[in-house]
Amino acid sequence: MKTLIVIREKDYGWLSPFFPGVNPLVMPVCNKPFIEFLIDFSILAGSSAIRIISDGPLNEVERYCEDGSRWGVDVSYASILGNDSIETVIEKNRKYCADQRLLIISGYLFIRYENRQELRHCFAMASGGTLAENERGSIVLAGTPEITGQLPAATPFSLVEFDSIDNYFRLSAEILKEYPSPYVLPGYCNEPDCHIGRNVVIGKGAEIRKPVIIGNNVQIMKGAVVGPSAVVGSNVIIDRESTVSRSILLDNTYIGEQLEVVDRIAAGNILVDPRSGVSIAMEDPHLLSSLPGSAHIGSGLFRYLFHAIVALLLILLLSLPYLMLVPLLKIQGKWKTGSFTFHDIRQGKNLRFVMPSIADEGGIGSLAKALSLDRFPMLFRALAGTIAVIGSFPVEVSHRLEAGYAATGYRPAVFSYAEAEDWPVNAEDSAIVEQFYAAHGSPVRDMVLTIKAFLNRIHSKVQ
Amino acid sequence: MDFRIDMSNGQPVGIASLDGRLDAENCGDLQTFCQSWLKETSRLVFDCTGLDFLDSSGLGTIVSCLRKSLEQDGDLKLAALSPQVSMVFELTKARKLFSIFPDADNAVRSYASGDKA
Repeated sequence: MKTLIVIREKDYGWLSPFFPGVNPLVMPVCNKPFIEFLIDFSILAGSSAIRIISDGPLNEVERYCEDGSRWGVDVSYASILGNDSIETVIEKNRKYCADQRLLIISGYLFIRYENRQELRHCFAMASGGTLAENERGSIVLAGTPEITGQLPAATPFSLVEFDSIDNYFRLSAEILKEYPSPYVLPGYCNEPDCHIGRNVVIGKGAEIRKPVIIGNNVQIMKGAVVGPSAVVGSNVIIDRESTVSRSILLDNTYIGEQLEVVDRIAAGNILVDPRSGVSIAMEDPHLLSSLPGSAHIGSGLFRYLFHAIVALLLILLLSLPYLMLVPLLKIQGKWKTGSFTFHDIRQGKNLRFVMPSIADEGGIGSLAKALSLDRFPMLFRALAGTIAVIGSFPVEVSHRLEAGYAATGYRPAVFSYAEAEDWPVNAEDSAIVEQFYAAHGSPVRDMVLTIKAFLNRIHSKVQ
Repeated sequence: MDFRIDMSNGQPVGIASLDGRLDAENCGDLQTFCQSWLKETSRLVFDCTGLDFLDSSGLGTIVSCLRKSLEQDGDLKLAALSPQVSMVFELTKARKLFSIFPDADNAVRSYASGDKA
């Protein structure tokens, strides 16, 4: 059997105003992209090939689903005009539709089912026709039954109302509560009602209350309470002593300190009351804001180029002092080197390099340290793009894990944001500054902070 | 920011109308005005009918006004919060600090009856 999933822009028009940056086809429902629920259903119904058809943009869907090999099916894509009827869609895809039974899912539908095994059996025996429909769409089967037998009295699936932000909110809560869930939800789950993704850091005294689903790269800070009924997406920070319950936090969201998010949907800096449909775009980054989608420095070519240029300028500036002072320090025994392993986010692996330290008692040592010559070799790493010029000071891998650093916002660099702000450089305090700038950094701001960090080191030695 | 004294309860209640945005740029003005209002009465009502936007600076100023009025044995009550502004109060848990009424008349009357919203 083959499946056509036909979704028009008008089908999901209700969702777009709330989350303008999110393609509704990959809108997460319990941290799983919407389209994947339809793909799962098609596979459980017995499809080996699925074509996703829309008059809207499909780029993000293609990026996520690719060729379908991860599900063991062929996924392909096609475009249509907004006013094309289902007959026209089939005609336009007649080659694809020709040789096998065809399941047509038309509309932005959420399909509820309880027993996965029953679906394949039911579809194999069902004769053609409309199997389910509502105002928003339908499920139609074309072709002759594959096997004969007694069909169940009722179809083992139904269409759920999925046409308002309130429905979306309720549906997520219902899916979360179901155990065992008929749907495959992302994350590690070794007990009922609790799904936890990769790289989730839970601070001291933080509480996780079931049911809950948490995505990847999430940092839950000290004293925060998450759940019950919380859906937390990926790349999220929930800052100290904040509460998130009966709510959905979409990907890339920062929740500030001591806040209470209850019965809300937060997406970046947008906060939505799903019951009334009222939404507000927060302008205050300390309350609610967007996090960059990816923490690695290569995420933007512009940002990488900027960091490389700054690194090159610093190399040119410091080359002469380095060549003059370091041999003297070596003779005096004040230049020491140690081996150091840190996690390279860009390559996703641990890297080992030699890092110098300067014993700064005495004139030359102090001068060398003021000029940040101990950071000079690291500038070449920044030039190569392995680390940033400014970000988090690279922490030894073992310490990083112990200190809960393996979280969103950790971006190893030559200089740290904490140094730029003249913040006490200890793990927990500097992490606050680093996380803030990781969330709100920009190339221009990075340039200013790099200069500040460099000058602060000179200033601290002059004093 | 308009300010008037209401004497309908036999005791002076100051009603200030907040309009537009209350953020880091103009919260200092509210702080200054509030000090002068508190010289006239420590029972205040902020009518937020026209308040479209509030950030943490603005919220901090309103909390500061509440604190000053409480120090003078008065109170600061809020009226007619828009859904958006109300969400900021809920998000920051500041809602628990204030008596909030659907409109300014109810807020003024509550001073006579001693009602809490």
